[in-house]
Amino acid sequence: MEHLARRQKVRTLADDLAWLEEHCRRNPELGEHAAHLRLAAALTRNVIGPAVDGQGSKPLFVAVVGGAGAGKSTVVNFLCGAVVADANPQAGFTRHPKAFLHPSLGATWPSHLGFLGPLQRLSDDKPASLDEDVYQVKKIPTAAADDPFAEFAVWDCPDMTTWASAHYVSRVMEVVALADVVVYVASDERYNDEVPTQFLHLVIKAGKPVVCVLTKMRPTDADALTAHFRQEVLDKLPASIGDIPAIPVVSIPQLPPDVRTDPAGKGAPYRAALLNQVLALAPTADDGRRRTLANAVKYLQAAGSGLLNVARRDLTELDAWRGVVTAGRTEFENRYRSEYLSGEAFRRFDQTREQVLHMLDLPGAGKFVSAVFNLVRWPYDALRKVLVKAVSRPAPPNLSETDVCRAAMTAWLDRLQAESLRRAGQHPLWKQAVHGFDAGLKTQAGDLFDQRLMTLSKKETDELDRLARAVPEKLAGNLLLLNVLRGGVIAADLTAIGLVCWAAWAMQSWWGLLLILPAVAITRHAVEFLVSNVVDRGRNKLKREREAMVGEQLTAPMAAWLGDWPTTGGSSLEKLQQVLRRVPETIRELSGIVTPEKPAETNPAAPPS
Amino acid sequence: MSIDPQQPFLRTLAPLLRALEKQLRGWLDARRKYPITLIQRAEIEGIADDLKRKADGLDVERPLLVVMLMGGTGVGKSTLMNALAGASVAQASFTRPTTRDPVVYFHQTVKPDRLDPALRLCRLAQHDREPLMHKVIVDTPDVDSNDLANREKLQELLPVADVVIYVGSQEKYHDQLVWELFKEQRRRRAFAFVLNKWDRCVDAGTGLRPDEDLLKDLKAEGFDNPRLFRTTAQLWVDATKAGQAIPPDLPPGEQFRELVQWLEAGLTRLEIEAVKARGVGQLITSAESVIEGVKPPDLGVQAAKVRTAWEEVLNEEADAQADVLVSTLEPYQQEVEHHFTVRGQQNFWGLTAAYLRATTKLRYFTSTLRDRIPGVPKVTAGKVDTPTDWNLSEFVQNCSRTAGERVLTQRLSALSNKLLVEADQKGFPLALLSEPTAAVAGQKWEEKFTRGLVESLTEVEQEVTHPVGWRKWVRGGFILLCNTLPPVTLFSCFALVLYQYLVAGEKELNWVLLLLPLYATLGVLVLVQLAAAVGLPVRWPRIRGQFQERLREKLTGELGAVFLPVPDDIAAAVRDEKRQAEALVTETKQIADWLNEREQASQVGELYGK
Repeated sequence: MEHLARRQKVRTLADDLAWLEEHCRRNPELGEHAAHLRLAAALTRNVIGPAVDGQGSKPLFVAVVGGAGAGKSTVVNFLCGAVVADANPQAGFTRHPKAFLHPSLGATWPSHLGFLGPLQRLSDDKPASLDEDVYQVKKIPTAAADDPFAEFAVWDCPDMTTWASAHYVSRVMEVVALADVVVYVASDERYNDEVPTQFLHLVIKAGKPVVCVLTKMRPTDADALTAHFRQEVLDKLPASIGDIPAIPVVSIPQLPPDVRTDPAGKGAPYRAALLNQVLALAPTADDGRRRTLANAVKYLQAAGSGLLNVARRDLTELDAWRGVVTAGRTEFENRYRSEYLSGEAFRRFDQTREQVLHMLDLPGAGKFVSAVFNLVRWPYDALRKVLVKAVSRPAPPNLSETDVCRAAMTAWLDRLQAESLRRAGQHPLWKQAVHGFDAGLKTQAGDLFDQRLMTLSKKETDELDRLARAVPEKLAGNLLLLNVLRGGVIAADLTAIGLVCWAAWAMQSWWGLLLILPAVAITRHAVEFLVSNVVDRGRNKLKREREAMVGEQLTAPMAAWLGDWPTTGGSSLEKLQQVLRRVPETIRELSGIVTPEKPAETNPAAPPS
Repeated sequence: MSIDPQQPFLRTLAPLLRALEKQLRGWLDARRKYPITLIQRAEIEGIADDLKRKADGLDVERPLLVVMLMGGTGVGKSTLMNALAGASVAQASFTRPTTRDPVVYFHQTVKPDRLDPALRLCRLAQHDREPLMHKVIVDTPDVDSNDLANREKLQELLPVADVVIYVGSQEKYHDQLVWELFKEQRRRRAFAFVLNKWDRCVDAGTGLRPDEDLLKDLKAEGFDNPRLFRTTAQLWVDATKAGQAIPPDLPPGEQFRELVQWLEAGLTRLEIEAVKARGVGQLITSAESVIEGVKPPDLGVQAAKVRTAWEEVLNEEADAQADVLVSTLEPYQQEVEHHFTVRGQQNFWGLTAAYLRATTKLRYFTSTLRDRIPGVPKVTAGKVDTPTDWNLSEFVQNCSRTAGERVLTQRLSALSNKLLVEADQKGFPLALLSEPTAAVAGQKWEEKFTRGLVESLTEVEQEVTHPVGWRKWVRGGFILLCNTLPPVTLFSCFALVLYQYLVAGEKELNWVLLLLPLYATLGVLVLVQLAAAVGLPVRWPRIRGQFQERLREKLTGELGAVFLPVPDDIAAAVRDEKRQAEALVTETKQIADWLNEREQASQVGELYGK
């Protein structure tokens, strides 16, 4: 089971990297990343995969690459010690990779599932010019049993320079990823060309050991050419991801046909020089493979941490989208505040005020006393009513909360849509949004909003009721407090009356008793003022709570939903995010599996399997 | 456009090309609504440059044919050049890339200042070979090496070329970089092909022989019968050095001599003119297609659709805005009523007027009192400061400012988004609309709201105080009655008192009679007031609807006046631009027709791709 799971991981990683590569190809400005991702996917399939499967390090792979007509096939023949590859003057003749194998290796061939990715193995012999996603494996017919190159498989690869190469260069990449040693062939015409040099840079970055072979020069020019090549190309190489040995340069001048077609005989000196350099890079198969694996892991790790560069633009645009959503949310809340909340009086609290005042009247037999007081206060009440009516203005009708919210939501969505339309040319995300709006994103958002609004208004009603009833209920629940308050009110009234009586007695004037009327009016006014204050506190609290509730339960979820919208529904952004999460994780896990030293140290008591 | 057959006909083309160039540049410099991309702009600028270059090159007795060698590094361009010259005019060596400075090889009778400016900066090599007199051969830097500056130099030179000799070697005869460049130019310039290092190609082995492979590729690019020369230039250079006329061991099928022959004798005056004419023709064709590409579409239909859609949206918006504005006025209905009443009383005069003014002041005492007494609770929403002296415009301005701050400004930015979305659904390009719409929405709307409010108030007032038709007469009569009745009463009472005193001779006047003028008049005045209250009522609820309707109309007008012309204006401007582009296309077509009449390109047809 474990085994299958690991294989599945390799497959997932390769697929994810391939998807990312495709993603980069779709975005012109990401084109430079595509080649790296392709290489990373190929490394996963061809180096990590077999290592996870626990396959042996034989055969070691040598990939021969270079521009068209540079003499790759000739170099392959020299490596194999026999004329096995089609060497001919047609530039770009070889169209698919072909491996040449020492007969002693027999059936030793990687059997890992997904080996060489899209390339199918051809069972029957076909010319190298067959232009399909295939590869061939050939035995070297005339190989000597003690050939020093017996542990190697040599790959003859297509070129990467002709106009037709664009669609088969991926086959070269696949083999280069597999290779333990890369032989880079450059002719006297090609050695300073841009396209092959860029390819060499990629190979070096990937941490492959390289042997350079310069071909076709006049024998007298060989040394000068090698020096110029070192100066112009090798001195300007980028840093490699892993440790790779210094790059040797071998020169094979333009050879007469009889030497060229006899690598084991007349061409033996050239062959020896070439073999020495390749063998020096991989003294034993295990060493060679270990380096390949270690550098592949490093390359993948670097690729994993560099993925953010690939996604940067997409993430920036996603941020921009979220910025627009947030701006819309702020506008919504501003509108709610100024169009609804600032004009809302919450009349329900006026009832509360009346109710509290009523509760403060004396109960039972005390009703009679209250009635007397009310009678005494009648002139004041009547006068006040007239005054208030004259002085107060009618309140302006407030807009309904639902209407304000709906209008603000429509404005929010309109804003998003207009912004998407404006930016549609900039990035696929906005285009996706435009399509989304065409396909009913507004209705969808509107439905969600209505649902939320309904829940919210129910809660709001409850909350209004709760806060409006809070004071009367508290009084009803706390009889002591209520009675103390009632007592206080009565005491205040009585004190006022007592004071007036005393003053009238002191002044010896019956008329003075008329002052009772304003006195009880003043106490009444004081009581009402206090009650209003208490009730208004509840009103203001409700306003604040309203605002918070709308923020939490309406705009926050809507903003979250809209902000995440581009990354849902199977969009490429969703996939991108998923892949970005998964790739570094998988790379970490796989590196842990294929570099066993570390787990062995941390976990010495591994369970026997 | 008739031409003199004696004159070199190409020369007559020069002024036409110059005129077209000027027009193109003028068109580029003009301010334009419909955007063109940077690539399109660069393309047109390139074409204008080419037109000027062609015009200058043709404006001579016999034009020079520029033959350019193009190819990757190391294919042997410089060696070929040296072989052609029979001397070492170009630097050739085994290090790559070799040629950094292009070499221009031309006849000594040609003054260097007749060369194209781009060529004058190169290394100049003169010769005295009669057959090459009207031909300039240019050796260019490579296309494919790591030295990217070389590629730029070539790109600068290439537009000068009339004939390009595509030089390939066994390795590089179809390398991607050169091939792309060739494909890009194959219809514009004459092409001949050289497969150099032919000695490496002779033994075909298992694959296609390189020349066959190349011919196959060329056929795919539209060259059915291309002029291909198989050469080994190095052997000819070596032979010249060794003093031999012909190299001793030429590979079979070597065609260097044919190449020289073609350059010297194959390209006659007729062919040179044909190549030149064809070059101009290609340029004109590409100019036409580029201009066609930037020609803006006709937006008239979309603009009309957008207009209809916008009208609806704007009507809704005006409705909503009128609602908001009227509800801002709501708390001040008493003031508004007061104002109307005062206005209505201006028709009265004399006693009635004085009495009514006094009573009105008393009646609306509280509406002014309210703002003077401290501590009276103010209306919470829409804090409008009512001016202490009633001033309609100031009051209305305050109202619209409050409404604007509270609701309308936010509504307007939402409105512009909504309009854009509508326009997009009607197929109007948003890039053109976005900015002007935002500008319109960002105008000072407060003024417009104020104006709308004042105008509707005034109009409603006018309607109420100055009715038309039969109402006018009834009202006039009523007012006349109200105006005359009290003074008549007063005077007649006075007359009665005087009569009683003087004529009837009643010496003892009682108070009742003496005060009769006073209370009778007062009584009449009270009656008049009651009648006015019943007959000429000014009540807020009654004028509110009327007022809102007016305001809605005004706002629809205001919104429509600024928003609706936007798409139409743009469409008109774009139509204008389209017309200009069409004029340019017509111009190019004329030149193309002129060239077609003198079509001589058939002799050189095989030098071009299809």
